[in-house]
Amino acid sequence: MEFTSILFYVFGFCFVASAALMVTARNTMKAAMLLILSFFSAASIWLLLEAEFLAVTLILVYVGAVMVLFLFVIKMLDVDQSTLRAKFTKYLPLGIVVAVIVIAQMALVLSAGQFGLDVVAEPARHAADYSNITELANVLYTAYVYPFELAAVLLLIAIIAAITLVHRKGSRSKKQDVSEQVNVQAKDRMRLVSIPSGKRKESK
Amino acid sequence: MIALSDYLILSAIVFCIGLAGIFINRTNIIMLLMCVELILAAVNTNFIAFSYYSGDVAGQIFVFFILTVAAAEVAIGLAILTLMYRNRGSIDVDVTNSLKG
Amino acid sequence: MENIYLTLALAPLVGSLIVGLAGNRLGRTLSHTITILGVAVSTVLALYVFNHHVLEGADVFNENLYTWMQIGSLNISVGFLIDNLTSVMLVIVSFVSLMVHIYTIGYMHDDDGYTKFFSYISLFTFAMFMLVMSNNFMQLFFGWEAVGLVSYLLIGFWHGKESAVEANLKAFLVNRVGDFGFLLGIALLLMFFGTLDYAETFALTDQVNGQTIFGDMSVITVICLLLFVGAMGKSAQVPLHVWLPGSMEGPTPISALIHAATMVTAGIFMVSRMSPIFELSDVALTVVMVIGAITALFMGLLGIVQNDIKRVVAYSTLSQLGYMTVALGVSAYSVAIFHLMTHAFFKALLFLAAGSVIVAMHHEQDIRKMGNLRKKMPITYITSLVGTLALIGFPGFAGFFSKDMIIEAVHFSNLPFAEWVYYAVVAGVFITALYSFRMFFLVFHGQSRVDRHTEEHLHETAPSITAPLIMLAIPSAIIGYFTIEPMLFTGWLDNAITINSEAHGSVAALKENFHSATGLITHSVMTLPFWMMVGGIATAWLFSLYRTQWADAIQKRFRRINYVLESLYGFDRFNEIVFVRGSRKLGDILWRISDMAIIDQFVVNGSARFARFVGSVIRPVQTGYLYHYAFFMIIGLMLVLTWVLVSGNNPLIDLGS
Repeated sequence: MEFTSILFYVFGFCFVASAALMVTARNTMKAAMLLILSFFSAASIWLLLEAEFLAVTLILVYVGAVMVLFLFVIKMLDVDQSTLRAKFTKYLPLGIVVAVIVIAQMALVLSAGQFGLDVVAEPARHAADYSNITELANVLYTAYVYPFELAAVLLLIAIIAAITLVHRKGSRSKKQDVSEQVNVQAKDRMRLVSIPSGKRKESK
Repeated sequence: MIALSDYLILSAIVFCIGLAGIFINRTNIIMLLMCVELILAAVNTNFIAFSYYSGDVAGQIFVFFILTVAAAEVAIGLAILTLMYRNRGSIDVDVTNSLKG
Repeated sequence: MENIYLTLALAPLVGSLIVGLAGNRLGRTLSHTITILGVAVSTVLALYVFNHHVLEGADVFNENLYTWMQIGSLNISVGFLIDNLTSVMLVIVSFVSLMVHIYTIGYMHDDDGYTKFFSYISLFTFAMFMLVMSNNFMQLFFGWEAVGLVSYLLIGFWHGKESAVEANLKAFLVNRVGDFGFLLGIALLLMFFGTLDYAETFALTDQVNGQTIFGDMSVITVICLLLFVGAMGKSAQVPLHVWLPGSMEGPTPISALIHAATMVTAGIFMVSRMSPIFELSDVALTVVMVIGAITALFMGLLGIVQNDIKRVVAYSTLSQLGYMTVALGVSAYSVAIFHLMTHAFFKALLFLAAGSVIVAMHHEQDIRKMGNLRKKMPITYITSLVGTLALIGFPGFAGFFSKDMIIEAVHFSNLPFAEWVYYAVVAGVFITALYSFRMFFLVFHGQSRVDRHTEEHLHETAPSITAPLIMLAIPSAIIGYFTIEPMLFTGWLDNAITINSEAHGSVAALKENFHSATGLITHSVMTLPFWMMVGGIATAWLFSLYRTQWADAIQKRFRRINYVLESLYGFDRFNEIVFVRGSRKLGDILWRISDMAIIDQFVVNGSARFARFVGSVIRPVQTGYLYHYAFFMIIGLMLVLTWVLVSGNNPLIDLGS
């Protein structure tokens, strides 16, 4: 058994286990942590597949930014755990059944007969000075520059959208509108009321 | 020697766990989003496996973009979640059934 | 020549339009002058045309003047066919119309709608001319409908009178039934002959002769029967006769013009015009003959029990129309036209004379309240006598020749039922004499039953009324004697009428036995109809003058027969129960069931309800819950995967293929 195979099985097991635990976690906080663990396992597997840049990006961007965002939100919102837990067990069997069916179907397709070693050979490992980044960059900025630009625009839109969604218009800040202040009329601020002078009530 | 099929089956298993997660955690929106992340991670693994075994770097480029889109999607999803919480006071999906026909 | 025909047709129309639109401003005298001028022009031209075609033997004029529309290969145009038949009809229509126009000056003197009336009768004259001069079925139908329309307008002329309004509606509806059959006949003719032009149709008759429709019914027979249904409506044959007595609600001039001389003869004219087609169908001819005989006999019987002076003459008209129809049935078309001509004169005369009596009696129409009028109204008396003698067929007068010829023609016919028809028409002579002279004696002779006030004012009517009477009495007396030979036997109408002489040899047989008009008169005393007529006069004298109480006694004795006759054989009641109430019931059913229940409830509301139902079934899928949607997506994915794997189309794995 080669070292890479052992690594594969270890990290693979870790991946699957953390995923399984994540979906069955009662506590959202725990689930987020387990998801971070599964991402780490995935990154390790990607390293095995010589996708170093992406593995690191996964950690930096995904875990570093996205999961942190998740944790922010989890902590910010007051989630009522009790009601969530009630529905959990009701649907567990059905979920497992569906998952098993889909796994079985996929396994039929993705079996060793189609994609095994005799069909797809294991490629040679790259040399030690292989730079994954250089290779990605060579392709990204030439052949795939258009999708790259589109992705950038997409991110811009996402930023604007997220801010716009949550933005409350001026509810917390008071600011001055100078032109409005200057154009104020007396009648906007004052009202003269005529009160009939009546007899003074005798107070007991 | 790890065959391509092993990697594929691994990602298939995680994918299905993610599906089951959607199923099971139907009421908790945060959990839903996190299961979607899991699914995306499994799919990314699939792509990278194919990229490695076919020697074509296009698979990794695709993962690149998937990561980008997933990040954007999480941002907006959480913004919506925050809004929902702000408006209803709870993130229980059972109360958000205004689209009921 | 073309201009003459056009002027002839359009002169009355112009008069009608001018007076109709500006009558009130023009005033009475100018209005009646314009319309009479129009009709007088037409009369003069008609006489000229008659001279040109019949006496001088000019060629038949058959031309299209104006193409109305062209539909594919069908050409519908306005055209004139002027042959001898047309010429004869033109003379009759224009002369009687002129007489009626002059008569109206006196008769409608006190009426508010004076100018309107003149406009209408001129319009009618125009329509009748178009009908008679047409050379294709579409124009014939136009004229047909137009005369029906004007008849409707005129019957209900006094539209304040409810009985008049009911009568005109009845006339129009019954006419419509006839027109419906007529239209079906025309449509069938168009379908099989491919053209609506007379000349082209008659040329194609041999070709169409053998064809059948609906199995094994001859097309020609069906066409003829349908056309005859139209004639039944217009010429008031049983059972579409019910409108004619009601049409007496209109002023007397129109009873004379329309319902005696012209409109009701349109049906007879049409069948004569279609003689080439009718000759090919024995069945149709037999039907025509039998219906004519039924009408002649039974309507005559009804004339005996009528007490309104105009109704007696109306039933007399129905009976005489029956005679004309019988003549058509035995293929004696020229005899029918001959009787049409003589009848036009003497029946118009009788109606106008009745009108004269009515005016003198201050619009009293019940003959039981008249009597001994001959002293006070001599001209009316003499002209009535002439008309009545013509009607009953007294030897020498016009009606004698025509009626006798009809009876002889029936005698020579070899159609089935000809024997029975012969007995019917001979009996009809007796009945005709009976009711005619009953009326005559009750009105002009005997004890005066007129009430005191009217009697004081009783005098002969104005010259504008009596002059037409005299003018009509002259032809009633002499025209038969002079025209019988040329019209029937020396071929006046030959270029218009076709007879299949081998099969229907009545006219040929008549010709063989004919010697001269005088000969007919002298031989008449040896014929059965003559003695029937004498018997009728005698019976009428017996019951009306000699022993009037016997008449009452018989009426009481034969109460049931009397009831049948007085209720007009129940036709009106039958029509009311079956058709009037029936169609109202049908309308009711259609409204409640078909419209409200089926269309509103079932189709309109039902489809709404169905859509709502389908929606209610599908709507629960949209639960609003996010996880349900996700669930459906996953299940869908799973199913798609299964399908791809199982269906065998997938390139990945052979499972289940």
